[in-house]
Parts: sequence; structure tokens; C-alpha cells
Amino acid sequence: MTTQFTGTAQADPLHYGFFGVDDTILSAVLSEAMSKGADYADLYFQQSRGSSLSLEDGIVSRASSSVDRGVGVRVVVGDQTGYAYSEDLDLDAMRQAARTAASIASGGGGVPPQAFKRGKQHDLYSISEPWGEVNVKRKVPFLQEVDRVARSLESAISKVSVGLRDADSRVLVANSCGEVYADERPMGVLSVSVTAEKKGEIQTGFQSLAGRFGIEHYTPERIKQLAQDAVTRCMVLYDARRPPAGEMPVVLAAGASGILLHEAIGHGMEADCNRKGLSVFSTMMNKKVAEDCVTIVDSALHPHERGAINFDDEGSASERTTLVEGGVLRSYLHDRLSAKHYGLDQSTGSGRRQSFRYPPLPRMRCTYMENGPHSRDEIIESIDHGILCETFLNGQVAIGAGDYTFYVKNGWLIEDGKITAPIKDVNIIGNGPESLSRITMVANDMKIDTGGWTCGKGGQSVPVSQGMPTTLVSKMTVGGENA
Amino acid sequence: MREELLEQAKLAVELGLKAGADEVVAGVNWGRSLSYEWRDGRLETVQESISRQLGLAVYVDGRFSTCSTNDLDPARLKRFAEDTVELTRCLEVDPHRHITPPKLYEGRSTADLDLVDATMGDLTREQRIEWCKEMDDVARAVTGIVAAENEVSDSHSVSARASSNGFAGTSEGTSAHMYTKASALDGEKRPESYYYMAAIHMRDLGTAREIAEEATRRTLARVGAGPVASARTTMILDPEIGGRFLGRIFGALSAGAVQQKRSFLVDSLNQPIASELLTLTDEPLLVGGGGSQHYDGEGIASRRRPVIEQGVLRTFFVDTYYGSKLGWEPTTAGSSNTVFEHGERDLAAILAGCEDGIYVTSWLGGNADMTTGDFSFGLTGHLVKGGELVAPISEMNVTGNYKEILKGLVEVGNDPIPWSSFRAPTLVFEKVQFGGL
Repeated sequence: MTTQFTGTAQADPLHYGFFGVDDTILSAVLSEAMSKGADYADLYFQQSRGSSLSLEDGIVSRASSSVDRGVGVRVVVGDQTGYAYSEDLDLDAMRQAARTAASIASGGGGVPPQAFKRGKQHDLYSISEPWGEVNVKRKVPFLQEVDRVARSLESAISKVSVGLRDADSRVLVANSCGEVYADERPMGVLSVSVTAEKKGEIQTGFQSLAGRFGIEHYTPERIKQLAQDAVTRCMVLYDARRPPAGEMPVVLAAGASGILLHEAIGHGMEADCNRKGLSVFSTMMNKKVAEDCVTIVDSALHPHERGAINFDDEGSASERTTLVEGGVLRSYLHDRLSAKHYGLDQSTGSGRRQSFRYPPLPRMRCTYMENGPHSRDEIIESIDHGILCETFLNGQVAIGAGDYTFYVKNGWLIEDGKITAPIKDVNIIGNGPESLSRITMVANDMKIDTGGWTCGKGGQSVPVSQGMPTTLVSKMTVGGENA
Repeated sequence: MREELLEQAKLAVELGLKAGADEVVAGVNWGRSLSYEWRDGRLETVQESISRQLGLAVYVDGRFSTCSTNDLDPARLKRFAEDTVELTRCLEVDPHRHITPPKLYEGRSTADLDLVDATMGDLTREQRIEWCKEMDDVARAVTGIVAAENEVSDSHSVSARASSNGFAGTSEGTSAHMYTKASALDGEKRPESYYYMAAIHMRDLGTAREIAEEATRRTLARVGAGPVASARTTMILDPEIGGRFLGRIFGALSAGAVQQKRSFLVDSLNQPIASELLTLTDEPLLVGGGGSQHYDGEGIASRRRPVIEQGVLRTFFVDTYYGSKLGWEPTTAGSSNTVFEHGERDLAAILAGCEDGIYVTSWLGGNADMTTGDFSFGLTGHLVKGGELVAPISEMNVTGNYKEILKGLVEVGNDPIPWSSFRAPTLVFEKVQFGGL
């Protein structure tokens, strides 16, 4: 699918031509936004182009594509926000949206910048060929190859479905500080579901490989691994059972177990809920919350990960933020609004939004735990009776009480220091601060997961990443059977 | 607005045909929404949105694709339709891709479903702010409540749909929503709960005071919550949350899940799958129903359809594509309003009569595997002993398999939430596995 406006990244580095704007237009719209007074205002221009292609029953027979574009106008006065957007990029329509956003304020007019200077940004996910320029015909063989490999790995596989979703998002942020930022944000997600039939029993398995990369990332080796993972996850279910219900030690495998951090502490450290006094972590800053071996980071700077951003969605430099350092709570995740509330010079570059239709909120990017002093084997050997969690579907948190959960799709029982039988389909529940204090061992095998994680908050979804070294939580509540 | 969107949809069908498609379906959606959030004695956020979007589905030489855009400039739409047809030609031929047959459009009801409140557009900023402020004042005046967030929002949506084989239809709906979330202190914890009411008509929305009072009552009931001992016991589901638990099985009732063998109900048509107390009907033509519609997502004329009768599965949700793959007649692409056959008692009476059990008031995370029926969910609620709520519960899970638990349904209440589309009353299940201490 082609885009509506002409202009390439080289000739139009700020996307002014692409969105049909210049400094004068930006200034005029900001002027309207600030007409009743504002501490801060910004414009978020975006055009997203997405497409998806799916294979089912051996045929690549469905494609869908979408184009979505517009500009969001935000006006901030103290802790108050006015927001509106326009899907139409002509000046009158943008001014109308700006007037609506300005209705949050009731003071005198602010002075908008007349000229704009490009702000500092990283270069974390350049790709050689934007997804929008890759013809569908070239994508089809990738799906067929996943299908072929999955079927070749295991004769019990009777159904394979494969999906390739890709997107390019062009963004231009202009703010009342006179800064502009422009970005092109690619995303690719190749996923596969397999269904096996064996002795009258049906099981399914799933895997995906996602990131801010182009089609070149899907090499034959990675495709083979993707199919292999899905088949392995499916076939192990034939021997899997539910673990016993109740409290027990839980070992989190390296990689996707970072979901524990995302739910147990990440959301509770987003500054908006702390500013409002709604988080269980609101009174714990600079306090010891975990053992010395626990250091937890949320970073935008891992190249090509889903959570990577060259700058955030309100035009602040993106960075690496240490949430917990040596067991001590160190920093919330801030957007401009909360940074101002807390009297900080700058945000942590965590202001993110789903699209031009939404105001930014403090959000996670790539959340992970740093390596610790133990080895994976040491951790497994230390357990008399517990479980090892390997793959996950989803998690949730109630930030006030701090209770959080994650759903384990695949894992293993640990008995007498050894991994024994496979387990499946259990929800695990804990309390954030309690779980942090119960992290007793951290291994040295940290891995960022490459599955397609998406985080939802306040009705907005953003892509995130998470990672973890093998870690022991000495006690959590496991939703098993036969208590 | 309805006629304008329908004209736009018809025009898009023409553009698709001119670009070379054999058959085309177009849909145009328009929506407006406005929300006010109020916190700590003042306005926190005002958000307004108006959007319009056009979607096309094209059938070209036995191939199929869909696309959508919010750029409705006529010249660019023409190009958009041409690009879509060109893209479709790059796909593989699938013998099961056919446009929905026109006979399925026939017999569409013209009954007034009462889905629009024309007065909603008259709601003023001052009125919205007054309600927000009242909820906030009421909530924060309650001893033990340390914070409250309040929201008043309303929306209006219109959509139109047209196809090259004779379908034309429009629909319209309004909704309003009032919400309070309150927080309390419990040591370092700040337990929170919320209450909201939603309605098609402003007149059916509760008062700001009752919403705020119920939110604070729920929040204070969370103070001191923790896990209790793991047990196999009776589970009572509040009407607000039955939908999320039982609605999952609809995922196993789609023809797509059956054809892809990702349904634990694959061979269950006309078989008992649940207790005889369970009778569910898909009621798309319910007057004032949250999920009411004259036609479904494919344009198939809506009709009432028994889904489960006294525990026996009576239908799957069969769309045109998977119907063709399975060799089944299409029924409808998805559920609308799900209506239960009611029992005799409401929640209060059921709780009062419960000797020993767990009353679940909300879910926290969890998931289910619809291929096997395995599920596991986190929950909050109350321990029930001798007809009384004796302890608030958190940090517990409920785990089982839908094949078994559906047969363990021992009572259906008579008290569904009026504005929901999945109109679950209180539901009681026996011998359910809870994991806690």
C-alpha cells in the first residue's frame, strides 16, 4: 500500500512535507492551543500504515491493510490536561482541535514558538527497506516456509496457521518549547500456531518473533527456531498436568519471565499513579525493597526491541532508567507532567501513547532485571518442591493493593532439586512488594524475550519488551489442582 | 448522518468494482466521544474525539482481502481501492472465499431497537462537571477513602454498510457512562475498587451519589484482604463478572475454532455440555440491549437463536467462510445479547443461603485454553460462612476445566446487569478448586 503524500526520509527529514506543515503552521496551531494559557502544549502528527497476511490450511488467502493518520493536540496546565485530535490535517481542522484542547484552561494567552529546532534523538531501529515498500508477493514465501517447517518437524501436527503483521509509523512531535522530533518506527511480528492430534487428543502451541526490524530479520534459521518453539510447546502438553495448588517456591526461567517485573513493580512505578497516591510503591522511594542482588531497569535503548524508542511520544530524550538498584527503589517512570509535579528537571522519556488519538502517559519500554551472582543450576538444585515457569500468555496488576498475576502456559515441576514433569495452564498470583522481597537468587543468564508483548493501560496499548535472568521467588500462590 | 455514510459506503463499493474486484463490501463508521475526568476537587482531563473510518473487503478472482483508512479524500480513496485490488491479486486462490449470499440478508427486522438517545448531544459541560464533582465530593467525604477518580463520558456512533450483491444497512447507537474509582489505606497497600453504570439513555443512568457510594463501599470492603486456605468449595459469581468467565466458551463456539480444531466443544453439537440449569439464547433483537443489532458483521439478518438449551449445545456461530470450509450453513458471525433463563433468587438471597463458599467479585488476570477447556484465573472476593461474608479475599486463583465446571453449575440467579450484552445473573458452581495458602 502506498502512502498518500510524497516525500522520502532523506529529502524530508522532519516529515514536514509528508504532513503538509511548516514552522508557521505549527506555530499557528500551538498558538490556538495556548490561547487560554498553558504550561505546555504539544502536537503529535502520526501516520500509521499496517498490513497483515495470514496462512491457514496451507493457503495464504487473507491480507488486510490499514492507513490511519491525524494529529493530536494536548494542552497541559499544572496537572490538568485537555486533549483533542483531528484526522484532517488542514489548518482549520487542526485549529478547531486545538481550541477544544484549550478548553481545559481559563487564563490568558500564551506565546507559541515561531521557529522550531530539532531535538536530540537516538537511532535504534533503522532498517534497509521500510515494510510499506515490500510487495506482498515477497512476504508470502516467509509464511509458507514457517508452515512447511512446522509440519516437517512433527507428523502429529494437523493444523498450522501463520501470521505476518508489519507496520510503519511516521511521527512528528512539535512542542511549545520550540522542539521538533521526527521518527519512523517499524514493527514486524511473525507468529505461528500449531495444532497436533495424537491418540484422539488435541493440543496447540504458539510462538512469535517480534521487533522493530524489517523483513531481512526473518532468516531461515530464525524461521526454523520459531516453528520449532511452537511445536515443542505444543507436544510437551501431551505429558503436562496441573501442579498442586497453593504457596510454593517459583523459579522464573530466563527471558519472558520479565512479565513478573512488568506486573509486580513496573506499573506501580509509573509516576502518574504515584503522583495521585494510588500505588503501593508511593511511599517506598529510596527504601530497601529487595535483596542486594536485585537491580531492575526500564530502558528505551535496546536496538530493534519492541520497547525501543528514539524519543518518547511527547518529544523527550529516551533513556535507560534504573527502577531498583541493589535492592533500593531509585526512580519512577516519568512523563513531562509527573516530572514537573515531582520537581524534576526532566522526565525519564517514558511518555508514550497508542496513537494520535490519545494523550501520553508514563509507560514502560523494555523492562528487565540485571544479572545476579547465581547460576541456573544452583537455583534449580536449591528447590525441594516448586515449579519452573517457562512461557507466559498474559499478566495483570492492581497497582493500589499491589496484587498481580501472570498466566503460565508451559513450565516444569521441580522435585528434590531436579526438573521432573511438565506443567501447563496455571495462573500465579502474588503481591508486588512482597514478591520483590522474596527474590532470593538471581542467575547470570539474562535474556530479553522476542515475543510480541503489548502493554495495556488506560485503554491504550503500546509495544513493550521484557527480560529476565533465571530468578527464584521463594513463595508465590500457584493456581493448581488437587490441593 | 446515516444516509451520508451509506452513500459513502455505496461509492466505495463502486470504486472497488471499477478497480476490478468481482465483489465488494464497504463499511463506514463515524464516532464521537467526550470524556471528563475529575480528581482531588478539580478537572484532571478533558478528551474529545470525532473520527471516521472506511473499510473495504474485496473478492478478486477467488482471492480476498480487507483494508481500512481514515483518509476519505475522494481522489485518494480511488487510489486506495485500486491498491487494495492489486494487493489482493498477489494472494493465493482460496475456494472458500465467497461474499455472503444475498439470501442471508433477507428477512431483516425493521423493529425499533431503541438504541439512540437523541438528547445526549444536549448534555452540557456544566452538567458533566457537576456530576463529576458530586461523585468526587461524595467519595472523598467517606471515612477511610484517601483518593477518588471520577469520570463522566458519552459517545455516539453511526455506521453504514453496503455490498455489491445488494446489501445496504445503517445502524446507530449512543451510550453514557459514569464511573468512580476509590482508594483506601491498608498498611502500605492502597486497595481500590470501582463502580460504574452505563446506559443507552441518559434517563437510565444512576445518580452520581449512588455510583460514588457503591464505589466506596466496595473499596472499604477490600481492606484487610488476603488469601485463605486452598480448598475445593462452592463458587458464587457476582452478576458483573459472570460474563468474563462464561463468555470465554463462546471462543470455542465459533466455526473458525471448530474448523481449526481449537475448540474443546468440537464434537458437541446437540450433546449435553453443561448442567440442565444452563439455557442461553442469542437475542439480537432485544429492545434496548447493549448488543442489539438488525444485522451482524457480515450483513446476515439477525434472529433469535438458542445456544444452549437445558445444558445441550444447540448451535455454533458459523460465518460464511468457515461455514464453507466445514460444509455447514452459516448462522451468524458472532453473538449479540446473551440472555440466560433465570432462576428464583438474587445474589443477596443466594449468599444468605450459602453455608460455605467463595463469592467472587472481580477477576485479576488469568486465561484459558479453548482447545482443551483448561482455565486458571486470579480473583478477589469474600469467604462465605453460614450465609455471611466473613473475610475479604485477594491473591487467590481458581483453576479447572470448562468441560467439568459447566456441569457443576448448581444455581442461576434472576439478577443480570441491565446494560450488559452478556446478561449473566448470579451463578453458583459446586466443588471448584481454589488455590490460596
